[in-house]
Amino acid sequence: MGLPLTPDASLLTASDSLEVGMEIYVLVKQVPDPEAIIKVKSDLELEIENKYFTSFFDEIAVEAGLKLKEKFGGKVTVLTLDNRRVDALRRGISMGADEAVQIADPAFEGSDQFAVARTLAAYLKDKPFDLILTGRQAMDDDAGIVGPGVAECLGIPHVHSIISLEVDVQGREAKVTREVENGKEILTCPLPALFTCQKGLNSPRIPQVMNVMKAMKAQIKKVDLASLGLGPADVGSQALRVKVQKYLPPPKRPPVKMIKEDFPENVKTLVKLLREEAKVI
Amino acid sequence: MPNEIWVTAEQQGGKVKKIAFELLSAGIDFSKKTGQEVAALLLGSGLEEAAKSLTPFADKIYLLDDPSFTPYTSDAYLMSIASLLKEHQPSLLLGGATSTGKDLFPRLAMHLQTGYVPDCTGLSMGEDQKLTARRPLFGGKVFAEIAFSEARPQMATVRNNTFLVNENPNRSAKIIPVSPRIDPFSVRKKVTGFERAAGAKLDITEADIVVAAGRGIKAPENFKIMEDLADAINASVGTTRATVDEGWRDLKDQIGKSGKNISAKLYMAFGVSGAIHHVLGIGTCKTVVAVDTDPNALIFNYADYGIVGDLFQIVPALTDELKRVLSSE
Ligand SMILES: Cc1cc2nc3c(=O)[nH]c(=O)nc-3n(C[C@H](O)[C@H](O)[C@H](O)COP(=O)(O)OP(=O)(O)OC[C@H]3O[C@@H](n4cnc5c(N)ncnc54)[C@H](O)[C@@H]3O)c2cc1C
Ligand SMILES: Cc1cc2nc3c(=O)[nH]c(=O)nc-3n(C[C@H](O)[C@H](O)[C@H](O)COP(=O)(O)OP(=O)(O)OC[C@H]3O[C@@H](n4cnc5c(N)ncnc54)[C@H](O)[C@@H]3O)c2cc1C
Repeated sequence: MGLPLTPDASLLTASDSLEVGMEIYVLVKQVPDPEAIIKVKSDLELEIENKYFTSFFDEIAVEAGLKLKEKFGGKVTVLTLDNRRVDALRRGISMGADEAVQIADPAFEGSDQFAVARTLAAYLKDKPFDLILTGRQAMDDDAGIVGPGVAECLGIPHVHSIISLEVDVQGREAKVTREVENGKEILTCPLPALFTCQKGLNSPRIPQVMNVMKAMKAQIKKVDLASLGLGPADVGSQALRVKVQKYLPPPKRPPVKMIKEDFPENVKTLVKLLREEAKVI
Repeated sequence: MPNEIWVTAEQQGGKVKKIAFELLSAGIDFSKKTGQEVAALLLGSGLEEAAKSLTPFADKIYLLDDPSFTPYTSDAYLMSIASLLKEHQPSLLLGGATSTGKDLFPRLAMHLQTGYVPDCTGLSMGEDQKLTARRPLFGGKVFAEIAFSEARPQMATVRNNTFLVNENPNRSAKIIPVSPRIDPFSVRKKVTGFERAAGAKLDITEADIVVAAGRGIKAPENFKIMEDLADAINASVGTTRATVDEGWRDLKDQIGKSGKNISAKLYMAFGVSGAIHHVLGIGTCKTVVAVDTDPNALIFNYADYGIVGDLFQIVPALTDELKRVLSSE
């Protein structure tokens, strides 16, 4: 896993490290756009408007990978587990990723996040990666399970929700900043490692039209379940650790009460309502 | 059947977070149905006061008081907690949906090969010790009720202000000191620095009251009136992506799809238009107030109380009125 550790990193010269470069994998997912209309169709079925985009945090992860490649050389591969959509891969390629891999198999239908993480890890486990990047959370489920889950399966360290990233290629170490409730924590972490990326890390580049066209034709490597050494019992509805029992529409707020008095009576009324009706102050 | 319910009692600087008391209160409720004991799991260093504050809320406190637990790293926490879990096999492990919870729980669940539901806004317990977790999907456009497989413990992280803190929990926990179970070779991450956020306010995900201003506030220095309002009612100040992208406010205060989901008891928005990306972050706030000069601003569709007006007039007057009524109590 990863590049072999050099016994004495100081023996490496700058040009060696350039040749070495970094092997970076970015996990990407196409998700319904936050503006898409989503309705509960029945207890176990949702109706999702066909309006998808590459999860916002995943683009940040791709950008982070590309920046490192530009600095140290190497390769960025985008990877998705999706039976239908490869748009996130094309987005990654159009931004500048070198290779794209789609894992797809009918057996994945009904998988939970743990099966998704195990499958992605099964693909990655014999790859020579230095760094795996994911979004902080996918913008549909907002779960944030897949990143740390993949890291656990691979036995590599992870840091969740990073907002800065520096890599010391020769020292095989990364320095990252993580957001916590009362401030920012700075950590060092040996490579290979997995980081989940948060807004603030960078601003993803907008691909040029030429590259978007090229990405439409780019070759996508396809991988199925059997080639990963997994069987149908490892994924899909047979392997569920959590299971949706029921979808519900969101609780409805009562219609808004507009306070129509003039200033400053409206302010007095608001305070009164907050204290006596809503009882929140 | 497992005879314990566990809650990780997250603390910061020796002070236990409110969400831990909420979860222990929920645990006490559950235990009335299941007949189990409620245990708090407390990790850190210098935890005497923290343990004392938890005593009424649990039957047991597993106390892991050791310098190696400060600051938090998933490496050290995971090994110690996983080993304790394997030994005691509780049916349930709950934690706050905090930066630590979100870093630790998914990895721990994968390690234990058990199920985990993140960022819940409701939990219910059956007599058979089976948990049902409720959480928003797609930023709250849909909610899901989620059940667990037979693997134990059932794990969940929960948002602030999901449960009421029991005023009279009436337990008297036995403190069980546990020595750390850490293989130093597998602690790979090292915390080398910390930048404390300016000001002493709670994070917007932890505050009971959040007041926010959007682009309508027009300039960064104008946030002073928001800080004054917040100080009057012990609130934290949130904002929209528009002001963060302008560089007026810090990203950590951004509410919404690419920022934070908040679950405050009271959220008051001033000069916030109510874009879908923003309101997806406030869906589980209890009471929402909106003030905007535009009577057609979308934010009014998501509010309980609305005023069409100028925030530069309303905010200072509101601060004064709140100070007046609160001081006359
Ligand atoms: C083929 C397939 C069928 C599914 N069927 C169902 C179903 O029937 N019912 C249901 O409820 N759910 C289904 N799912 C969804 C699944 O349960 C997970 O919710 C989802 O794939 C990953 O979890 P998340 O979106 O919560 O990711 P998070 O844990 O929030 O994602 C964090 C990060 O992990 C990475 N990541 C996440 N998912 C993928 C992925 N698929 N490929 C590459 N990188 C990823 C991204 O970088 C992302 O930013 C299915 C998923 C797949 C792939
Ligand atoms: C992928 C994606 C993710 C996003 N994520 C987020 C997110 O997480 N959070 C977020 O907030 N946004 C997010 N956005 C941006 C979002 O779409 C909106 O652009 C943003 O929320 C608008 O911010 P605003 O309400 O401050 O500004 P505006 O929309 O400009 O609204 C300003 C409001 O102030 C009012 N106003 C002006 N003067 C006054 C006054 N004197 N008194 C009272 N009211 C006044 C105006 O009438 C107006 O309603 C995201 C967008 C995308 C595409």
